[in-house]
Amino acid sequence: MDKKEKFITALKANEASIYKIASVYTSDAEDRNDLVQEIIYQLWKSFDTFSHKSSITTWIYRVAMNVAIYHLKTAKRKVQTVTIDDQVLNLNEVEHADQEARWHLLRHSIDQLNLLDKGIVILYLEDRSYEEIAEIIGISSSNVGTKLSRIKEKLRQQISKQVS
Amino acid sequence: MELDDLKRTWQESKSQVQSNSSINIEMMEKMKDKYRLKLRKITLSEIVGSVVCLASAMFIAANFDKLDTPLLLGAGVLSILLLLALPLISLFSTRQLSKVGDFEKPYADTLKVFANEKIKFIRLQKINVTLSYLLLIIMIVLVSGLFSDKDIFSNKYYWILSIPLGYIFLLFYSKWVRNYYHKVLQESEELLKELPL
Repeated sequence: MDKKEKFITALKANEASIYKIASVYTSDAEDRNDLVQEIIYQLWKSFDTFSHKSSITTWIYRVAMNVAIYHLKTAKRKVQTVTIDDQVLNLNEVEHADQEARWHLLRHSIDQLNLLDKGIVILYLEDRSYEEIAEIIGISSSNVGTKLSRIKEKLRQQISKQVS
Repeated sequence: MELDDLKRTWQESKSQVQSNSSINIEMMEKMKDKYRLKLRKITLSEIVGSVVCLASAMFIAANFDKLDTPLLLGAGVLSILLLLALPLISLFSTRQLSKVGDFEKPYADTLKVFANEKIKFIRLQKINVTLSYLLLIIMIVLVSGLFSDKDIFSNKYYWILSIPLGYIFLLFYSKWVRNYYHKVLQESEELLKELPL
C-alpha cells in the first residue's frame, strides 16, 4: 500500500468525525466544506511527519481541531454567531424530522460554549477516553474530568432552556 | 432531552455521513491549488485598500502646492502620514492573524496563540480606528485646499454640512466598533483565563 492509499484509508475511517468537527466550527454548508478541504489538505501535508507516537485517530483529531481554529482566524469569523438553520449536515444525511430537531438542539447548545469547552465536548461526543481527550487538548486527564462535568451541566441548562 | 440522547444524535449523524463518503484521490490532487487560491483572495482585499490609501497620499502630494496656508500644509503632511500608516497597520495585523501555526501541537496551545493574537489584533484595530477619525477630520480641512479655487472656509454650508455629518458618522461608528471589539476582547481574555499555563 503506497502513502496515498494509506492516507485515504485513514481518512475514510475518520471522515465522519472530520465533517462533524468542521460543522461545529462553521456557520453554513459552504464554509463547512471549505474547512473540511483545509483539514484534509493539512493532514496530507503533515502525513509524512506523523510520528506514530499517538494513534492516527488522535493525530487526525488534533490536526483537524487546530485547523478549525486557524480557519476561524483567516475567515475572520465570530465564534458564536451561528444560525441554526444552516447548521445541519446535508439533510439527506439526517432523514427524520425528529433527528433533525435533535441535531439542531445539540448544535445550538454546543455553540454556547467557549472554544476550549467546545473542543472537549466534541471529543466526548466522539466517545474518546479521558486520556485521549487530555492528549489531544493538552491538559491533564483529571482536568478533563472536572471540565466535562461543568460542561455537561452547562449543556443541561442550555437544553432545558431551549426545550421549555 | 438528556446528554445521552445528544450523544446518540451525534453518533447517528456520524454513520449517515460515512455512507455518503466523498473523499477520493482526485479530490486530493485538486485541493492544493484551491487552498492557495483562497489565501490569495484574503490578501487581495487588503492590497486593494492599501492601493487606495497610497493613491490618495500621492494625489495629496502631487497637489501640495495648492495648500498655501500653514493649517492646510499641516493637514496635508499629517494626512499623507496617516494614509501611509493606516494600510501598514492593517496589513501587519492581518499578516499576524494569517500566520500558519503548527497543526500538530495540542489544541489548548493553539487556543492560547489564537486568543493572544486576537487581543493584539483588536488593539491594532482600535489604533487604526482612532487614526481614521483623525484622518476624517483632517480631510474635512484639506478638501477646501485641494478641490476649490476659492476658500471653502468662508462657505458656511460646507461647515454646516460636513461637521455635523462627520460627527454623527463618527459617533455611531465608534459606538459600534467599541461594542463589537469589547465583546470579542472579553471572550478572548476569558478563554485565556481558562487555559492551562
